[in-house]
Amino acid sequence: MAGPDQLTRVGDATSESQDVAFAGRSQLQLAWTRLRHDRVAVVSTVLILALVLVAIGAPLVAKLVGWGPDEQDRVHGLTPDGLPVGPSTLHWLGTDNLGRDVLVRAVYGARVSLVVGLGATALATLIGVVVGVVAGYASPGVDTLLSRLMDVVLSFPFLLFAIALVSVVGPSLKISIIVIAFFSWASIGRVVRGQTLTLREHEFVEAARSTGAKTLRIMTVEILPNLVSPILVLATLIIPTAIVFEATLSFLGLGVEPPTPTWGNMISDSLPYYNVAWWFVAAPGLALLLMTLAFNLLGDAVRDALDPSAARLTRVKVRS
Amino acid sequence: MSARRYTRTAAACGLLLMVAACGGSSGGSGSSTSPKASGVTNGGTLKLLGSGDVDHLDPASAYYTVSYTLERAFTRQLVSYPSSSEISVATSVAPDLAKELPTTANGGISADGKTYTFHLRSGVQWNTSPARAVTAADVVRGLQRICNPASPSGGLTYYEDTIAGFTKFCNGFAKVNASSPTAMADYMNSHAISGVQAPDASTVVITLTQPASDFLNIMALPFASAAPVEYLKYVPDSAAFRQHTLSDGPYAITTYQAGSKIVLDRNTAWKQSADPLRHQHVQSIDITQGQGSDQAVQQQLEAGTADLTWDLPVPTADLSALKKSKTSDFAIYPSASNNPYLVFNLRSPKNSGALGKLKVRQALEYAIDKTAIGAIYGGPSLNTPLDQVIPPGQGGYVPFDLYPTADHKGDPAKCKSMLAAAGYPNGLTLTDVARNSGNHPAVAQSVQADFAKCGVKTKIVSVSQGDYYGKYLNSPAATKAGTWDISEPGWVADWYGNNGRSFIAVLFDGRKYGPNTVDYGDYNSSTVNALIDKAESAKDASTAATYWHQADEQIMKDAAFIPFQTQKVPAYHSSRVKNALWSPFSQSYDITNLWLDPTN
Repeated sequence: MAGPDQLTRVGDATSESQDVAFAGRSQLQLAWTRLRHDRVAVVSTVLILALVLVAIGAPLVAKLVGWGPDEQDRVHGLTPDGLPVGPSTLHWLGTDNLGRDVLVRAVYGARVSLVVGLGATALATLIGVVVGVVAGYASPGVDTLLSRLMDVVLSFPFLLFAIALVSVVGPSLKISIIVIAFFSWASIGRVVRGQTLTLREHEFVEAARSTGAKTLRIMTVEILPNLVSPILVLATLIIPTAIVFEATLSFLGLGVEPPTPTWGNMISDSLPYYNVAWWFVAAPGLALLLMTLAFNLLGDAVRDALDPSAARLTRVKVRS
Repeated sequence: MSARRYTRTAAACGLLLMVAACGGSSGGSGSSTSPKASGVTNGGTLKLLGSGDVDHLDPASAYYTVSYTLERAFTRQLVSYPSSSEISVATSVAPDLAKELPTTANGGISADGKTYTFHLRSGVQWNTSPARAVTAADVVRGLQRICNPASPSGGLTYYEDTIAGFTKFCNGFAKVNASSPTAMADYMNSHAISGVQAPDASTVVITLTQPASDFLNIMALPFASAAPVEYLKYVPDSAAFRQHTLSDGPYAITTYQAGSKIVLDRNTAWKQSADPLRHQHVQSIDITQGQGSDQAVQQQLEAGTADLTWDLPVPTADLSALKKSKTSDFAIYPSASNNPYLVFNLRSPKNSGALGKLKVRQALEYAIDKTAIGAIYGGPSLNTPLDQVIPPGQGGYVPFDLYPTADHKGDPAKCKSMLAAAGYPNGLTLTDVARNSGNHPAVAQSVQADFAKCGVKTKIVSVSQGDYYGKYLNSPAATKAGTWDISEPGWVADWYGNNGRSFIAVLFDGRKYGPNTVDYGDYNSSTVNALIDKAESAKDASTAATYWHQADEQIMKDAAFIPFQTQKVPAYHSSRVKNALWSPFSQSYDITNLWLDPTN
């Protein structure tokens, strides 16, 4: 289905780029135009914006529903045997095992997911770009050292390390972000290093060097702007991974401390009740699915927009 | 009690008691007929399904409900408990290896209450080839092995505190090379426990340091199982030992694969005439481990592809439906528990030592909605609110409630005003260390919500089961530093009835405070300590009960802890299991008394 559509779209983009050769639009402006015309990108962006709005407006949702995220409704929110109660006008998406409103908690859970997802991604991108550019531009000795470091990080067993670290320092939001960032930066670092290695041989870099530009200036002013596209693509794709990492940590009881709701700890809490309280597992489960799906689709779309030829290649590869 | 004790309790509370446990008497599995009843079918394979292994297989150290289930089939003690649908019968000591219970009337207990004489039953045999009679020397050896240096028993102090010369024997034994079976055998052969004598092959005489009305309960614990001379060849509870267990019970372990499978088959050396408590109905018993969830096991039991659960509880979520179904395969049984409860760290320097102040603790006693805790564990049919240390049915139980609230739902206003009167009008900030699995996080959050209504802020610190005891509750340094202020552990007594020694003495004897204590918060009251001494040395159970009750009252006056509830245990078996008799000690059905209905 996407095939012919895709082709026309790419064709459009190409003809457009011919137009803009005269208008003098930048590569990012081109990408933005392509992105705007990608239906999947638009839908996933709207979805993400909606989730962000809901997360920001969580207290309003709580007010509207009438229950706080940690408020335990022991009168109407539990059966006499202590089981969660299903959706009703009182609790729109039912209650959890402590009689708390599942909808309100799921909405608050979006906050943790977004904070950790975006926070960890920002941190990972920062580390990855710095290490990658330095490795790619500095002396071979430094490059070897940093490249091996990235290899080590990439071959680290994430969960084992996370479990060990959290049991030593204790779980918290900060630790979740740091742990996830630590395991995500190396993939960016590698790509950035590779790109830097190619870029440093280009004439404009040579030119800058011959005019006496300092190393730091070359790295930041000459090389970095040319890395924006791959960084943007990788960062968008790290966000959903980070969100799933956070959910995994919370699921294992290694994430944010209770009673703060996260999708991971809600799913964990709901497991013993899955066959009597579907809403309890469904709400956080679907929310997690939607958010990661939206970020993944957006990431794909950003990549397509920034580098249509690479996108075609990937598609072919996936098909074969 | 050694650290092992907590491990087991922890495990019990984590697995078996995760959903519920313990309390008054109720339910019954429908077919609680006597084993002699018509329609008894012999043969078939009883299938048990569960998640993990025994804690130890060696009777000297095995201290977990599933280990008890297994030990019922392959070990015997001087005295034990009959299986019965009547809880009072099932928790009253009966003769096992001994011909009769020693009493003052039959001369088995001396007039001063300090000497117990047991005469062994004839016809009890080990499954050696050829089969060999179980002798007094085997009983003595079993007691000696309790404090072997390789894998000492978690119940060691019960014996050290009662039997003359036990501590001296054990102090010497502790210095022996724990990896050398020969060195340990030499020590056992050359040293004796002065209070344990075998004047002839069928008589055991035990001398106590002081009278102990609960001594037969202590002797009925599986730690005191008879041990054959062959056990001296192995390091206790080692892998080699686990492959060479011998049996004097109706079944023998024929396959033991750690963490995956245990198979028991009929012991041909066993004679029904020499065993008043057990039977040999089923042909073999097959225990499969490695199941991930209680729900998976429950589904198999309902489908009939397995018969009993090994270590996983009936899922809380299924209880409602099971109760409604009125099936006779489901029942609810009592247990001697105070689980969970809230322990105060009386040494915490935080909040300028608030928890060390009586008035503060008394205020907090009013804060908890005990029915909400019960709801987490399956609601009021399984959980009874408790306002004291001793639960119903246990020695010294006299109901009283020093901090009453309507329907046990808590009184935040009263808590708040009392807290203000105690000098904390702005409340407190407490650190609650909670295990990160099972029902523990929910309990901590329920307590947090209750305390918040009383103006007390609670920070929950989630930790793993291992860290929970090692890094927090059992660490005097961490306790003194105030790394935790409150926590919600649980306690299940080792026996029923006259069990103050396994309840109040364990939880509140401040003289025993240290890294191996269950008195986590370092409560220490000279009044309570004196009452414990009087109760433990009382000559009869009713005198002991009086003292235990007085201690109970003093502990609650001191608001040493907040009791939440006592629990009952829900149990389920496949429909082909008949004569399912509940064993309160192993909190499972007695595998040596049931039979399988082939038509089902």
